[in-house]
Amino acid sequence: MIGFLIQRVLQALMVVIAMSIIVFLGVYAIGNPIDVMIDPASDQALREALIQRYGLDLPLYEQYFVFMSNMLHGDLGESFIYRLPVLNLIWSRFPATLELALTAMLIATCLGIPLGLWAGYKPESLSAKAIMAFSVLGFSVPSFWVGLLLIMAFAVELGWFPSGGRGPTTHVLGMNLSITSLEGWSYIILPAFNLALFKLGLLIRLTRAGTAEVMSSDYVRFARAQGLSESKVVGLHVLKNISIPIVTVFGLELGSTLAFAVVTETVFNWPGMGKLIIDSITVLDRPVMVAYLILVVFLFVMINLVVDLVYGQLDPRIRVKAAS
Amino acid sequence: MKQNFKLGGSLVAALVLGTVLCGSVSAQTLTMGLRAGPDSIDPHWSTLGSQAEALRHIFDTLVMSDENLGLKPGLATSWKPIDDTTWEFKIREGVKFHDGSELTAEDVKFSIDRIPVVTGPMSMTIYTKQVAEAKVADKYTLHVKTKAPAPTLPNDFIRLFVVSKNVGMEARNEQFNSGKAAIGTGPYKFVSWEPKGDLVLERFDGYWGEKQPWQKVVRKEIPSDPARMAALKSGQVDLVNYVPATDYAAMQKDKSVDTFVADSVYFLNLTPNVKETLPRKVKVDGKEIDANPLRDPKVREAMDLAIDRKTLVRVVLEGLGRPANQLMPASFFGGNKNLPERPYDLAKAKQLLADAGYPKGFEIDFHCTNNRLPGDGAVCEALSQMWARAGLKVNANALNGTVFFPAQQKGEFSLWMSGWGTLTGEASYTYGSLVHTADPQLGLGAFNKQGYSNPEVDKLLEEGARTMDDPKRRALFEKVTEVSMNDRALIPTVQIQTVWAAKKGMLAIPPRVDQETLAYEIKPKS
Repeated sequence: MIGFLIQRVLQALMVVIAMSIIVFLGVYAIGNPIDVMIDPASDQALREALIQRYGLDLPLYEQYFVFMSNMLHGDLGESFIYRLPVLNLIWSRFPATLELALTAMLIATCLGIPLGLWAGYKPESLSAKAIMAFSVLGFSVPSFWVGLLLIMAFAVELGWFPSGGRGPTTHVLGMNLSITSLEGWSYIILPAFNLALFKLGLLIRLTRAGTAEVMSSDYVRFARAQGLSESKVVGLHVLKNISIPIVTVFGLELGSTLAFAVVTETVFNWPGMGKLIIDSITVLDRPVMVAYLILVVFLFVMINLVVDLVYGQLDPRIRVKAAS
Repeated sequence: MKQNFKLGGSLVAALVLGTVLCGSVSAQTLTMGLRAGPDSIDPHWSTLGSQAEALRHIFDTLVMSDENLGLKPGLATSWKPIDDTTWEFKIREGVKFHDGSELTAEDVKFSIDRIPVVTGPMSMTIYTKQVAEAKVADKYTLHVKTKAPAPTLPNDFIRLFVVSKNVGMEARNEQFNSGKAAIGTGPYKFVSWEPKGDLVLERFDGYWGEKQPWQKVVRKEIPSDPARMAALKSGQVDLVNYVPATDYAAMQKDKSVDTFVADSVYFLNLTPNVKETLPRKVKVDGKEIDANPLRDPKVREAMDLAIDRKTLVRVVLEGLGRPANQLMPASFFGGNKNLPERPYDLAKAKQLLADAGYPKGFEIDFHCTNNRLPGDGAVCEALSQMWARAGLKVNANALNGTVFFPAQQKGEFSLWMSGWGTLTGEASYTYGSLVHTADPQLGLGAFNKQGYSNPEVDKLLEEGARTMDDPKRRALFEKVTEVSMNDRALIPTVQIQTVWAAKKGMLAIPPRVDQETLAYEIKPKS
């Protein structure tokens, strides 16, 4: 197990280094952030002075080494725009994205798995066909468009929910959360549903495919022959046996939801990390871009690690393999 | 029957009372949905327009500007030059800071001295670069010594936000963002803010100016256009700024909103690169040529004549603009009221191209932004089609500003279009940066990337920069405008208009040419 962990950490380090080089090269290719930020009233001397102050006159590899050595000291740098430590900036946005992503995953799981089970259990029924049609919509219609439709329908026309932003928050466990109040929920429900839609479609199809396959297997027939009730057969044997791909996808989707809720956060003006990264890209705020992507890599590595550990719990054969 | 009347009467009364109550409740809080916000609560951090717009509520400036960018008294009641390099500012008496202390010349001096110490990526020192020293003459008089004659100093001080000297030289972003150091003399007090989030303000009852109708002001930052429009339609905000042209067309038919339109200071200008060789060469008959056709004034004139500005405004901008014949409104200091409107004459354009030796036209790359100003990308495409009618093949590339500006600065474009706003309201800001020969020693021509150089223009601009006499300076700048525009150093196309929208019948929004949305200028409609 220890060897497995060390291997994972090494992998993560390699990915982090590769990622930081790619981002540095990319931003450097676009050009000097000062040219995007500079005020038209300034003259050449001022421009030079600013470029020097931000160390942008150094060759790329020197800029990169300065950044990397700072990072090794746990310092991801300061935002060009806010002059605040990047980590604090990202961390201050994290709770908003976390609660949005978790709510979306909750919606996707609580609806997706039962619906998928039903569609796989009774594949010929009309309801199953309706569920499948819906799932296709879920991941083929672009999410910004669905988001705009949701806003038009439920915020502008019906007026049930606010059209965007994040409502009142309360301070819980060192984080500002909005899911603690009813009003907060009214703000989160539309963006969370919008974000959940793709995952919902995915989970439905995944669960259905698994269920359809497992339903015809021997152990389901034996379980039925044993006289187990249908609900036990489906809820225990079927669900457990199709859970490996579901957990994998759940893990990856949780990661990508946390990291790339960009579209939904932009459409609903949700003040999370996705919006921060978009805002930073539009002004070439390099420290924020690099730090954010490095954190995303770290997040994915961690999630994959957890997923692998959960596999072991779900399927003892994997545990045996890992140990040997 | 009588009973019914009574019932009806009380119902009406209840309705009236209800409306009045609701009306007065909503009149206490003004919630604005705006495209951009501040990057910090420190007013000396950045020169960004949205930064100034937000912080004006908390801090006052030494000199203020009216809706047409004319100067008016702010914390200074009057100013005059007492010799060639000294300006005297009389400070308003009896002004209170939010912490109860009184404003004196010391605070203004402190603010001027503080700017170079704390300024961020968009350096505020451009507003103090002419200052050699600020001296307190007495409690309410400040003498500002300048390095050279500085006729535009009061224009620079439109952005000189005055902070209390009590905050101390050590206070930085954190102290301001938390509100501890956010002590100004403005009409509103700071309550809370988070980056890219809401800025919440509360009325300051000790304000020296007009009494404010809003008890509370919430400034919500909503950069996405559809999200901002939805916030207005769903009643989350009372007003929004930067209504896109397409939404404007629909809103005019909508009975639940009022729209407000104003000219802005922003112009879309074409810039022909007139250097010896072009970074992206022109093609004639599919073959690259070494010569730069744009150096020929006839070619520039032909391209100008082929632009149908009226159609640009009417069709491409949905009516939200004006044809332009110079780089800023003619009413600004140094604008030229005698320049004629630019004609649209396709036949003459073709003739001029033939005269210049390009009877079959040429092919050229054309770059512009697509996210800086409303309609910039659309105008860009329309232009390339208009030029096609004159026989030119123009490859339009609309780029995100993040990509456009660094490339422009590196001199990678042959022909480009970008927006420019004369935010100080006078000509030296624009013409000094764009048409003066690029000269780092003088600090002029910083944005002249097209290589335009005309000794006459340079001489006039330099003379204007040291002429303290207003009428004389105005005449010099008017001449600069005339000469450079006739040279087609840049080719102005359209002046952009800005649109605000608010809930029907609720607000009176006085439109400002600098596009700022200021709660203290917005009144409830009675």
